[in-house]
Amino acid sequence: MKLSIQHLTLRLENRVIVDDLSLDVDHREIVGLVGESGSGKSMTATSVLGLAPRLGFAVGGSITLDGTELVGASEHELREIRGRRIAMIFQSPSGAFNPVMRVGEVFERTLRLHGVAGDEVAARAARSCEEVLLPALVLRRYPHQLSGGQLQRVAIALALALDAEVLLADEPTSALDVTVQAEILSLLTTLRGRGMAILLITHDLGVVAQVADRVAVMRAGQLVEVGPTRQVLDHPRDPYTQTLLAAVPRLSAGTGGHDA
Amino acid sequence: MRHNLVLSAGAITVGLLVLIAVLAPLLAPFPGDAGVATHPFSVLQAPSWLHPFGTDQVGRDIVSRVVYGARISPLIAVAVLLIATLVGVPLGLLAGYFGGIVDDVIMRVTDIFLAVPALLLALALSSVLSPTIGSTIAAISVTWWPWYARLVRGEAASIRGRRYIESCQALGIPRWRILWRHVLPNATTPVLVQMSLDFGTVILTASALSFLGLGVQDPSPDWGLMVSEGQAYFLTNWWLVTFPGLAILITALAFNILGDGLRDRLDPRHRMFQ
Repeated sequence: MKLSIQHLTLRLENRVIVDDLSLDVDHREIVGLVGESGSGKSMTATSVLGLAPRLGFAVGGSITLDGTELVGASEHELREIRGRRIAMIFQSPSGAFNPVMRVGEVFERTLRLHGVAGDEVAARAARSCEEVLLPALVLRRYPHQLSGGQLQRVAIALALALDAEVLLADEPTSALDVTVQAEILSLLTTLRGRGMAILLITHDLGVVAQVADRVAVMRAGQLVEVGPTRQVLDHPRDPYTQTLLAAVPRLSAGTGGHDA
Repeated sequence: MRHNLVLSAGAITVGLLVLIAVLAPLLAPFPGDAGVATHPFSVLQAPSWLHPFGTDQVGRDIVSRVVYGARISPLIAVAVLLIATLVGVPLGLLAGYFGGIVDDVIMRVTDIFLAVPALLLALALSSVLSPTIGSTIAAISVTWWPWYARLVRGEAASIRGRRYIESCQALGIPRWRILWRHVLPNATTPVLVQMSLDFGTVILTASALSFLGLGVQDPSPDWGLMVSEGQAYFLTNWWLVTFPGLAILITALAFNILGDGLRDRLDPRHRMFQ
């Protein structure tokens, strides 16, 4: 297993935010983590990177990357892993970039920080932009000059440039319109083809049905159901999953097909 | 284009001011009048060809004094604002970004300074120190930095919660570098605006100190001091107050425009598309 979360428990003061969650993501696999707002999906992702707020926050259980324990790892060790081995992309791409820094500078600084040097920096930035189908021109732009879809591609290109092994995608398509959403999702499947392990956090079952190999359903901090995507969507065992599925709006009501 | 025009207008005026300060001995028609000279037979003369700005209560040429004043008043303002920024901005950044106990300690100290009326604190300090430019700068700076700490603290605290800081962390960027490269550049705009607004206020505060006998003293041609000394003659001899007052106004305005232009220049969202 590439990324393995075992018995993860997150507590903020006395409230339990995530309760005994176990989930694996293998390389060449997209695992969808679904659940309603506040169910603890995003907190699970942030704690993989050790980015949970410090004060009053307690993490229990184990998170391993290729067998290396991340819970309780030093800030220094975590910095080596963040970005370079485990990348993360966010819901609102426009807010995820420093407004006063050109996109190219973000690449340059981040790559240098992680030990890429010399001409290799520019070459990698250009190559990864190409891979996400962005013109190299975007490197000279400021974030506000790019669209949400373009910025999300930039975020993914950054993960590619650093050769990340795991991608935590926190609602990567929720702020984008449907056509752009489809482009980003197809990009995610390309990344899977390259061997990346992807944890796709979303509340959109349509998104999960399109790309995820397996799906995990979360409710109030607990995992209620895990399984292959088709199986969970077609034959949900847990009543909560059934409710979620029933809540998905359909265009052709009554014809019986899943929207996917 | 418009922004560049504004910026250049401000920059040119400030440049002229620096030039006047540097070339004061060449520009002033009566360089001696910037000092202790007195001319009992030509006191309080109205503007004329010989004295375009008139003469003051001891007969000194006001043009010469205003020209030499360019070496004092703007210097005090620039020095005070630099010290206030150099002290206040880092403290505010630390307090806002790290929060918790760091925030508490820094902001409580700031509050103590803010709780004492600024002029009173400056008065107390300058009565201990000798009445020189240096101690005037020191006394005003002590009361000025807390405003900058407070301003930047608020900015930093709000920037800390933005998504891009989180994505910096997710990229493994060390906290100090995030603070320096990502929080600071996004917090500079209000500081620039505040500095350009404060410019005139500092000059007037310095003159208030001089007026009370605790700042720069008479022979030195400080604009603020000239205004406060000339007040007594305003109804009969308007030129004593007017010309140094105009000098303060133009200087403050120039720095204001410069600050405004710089703000637009530094903020990529205000820039044209390529």
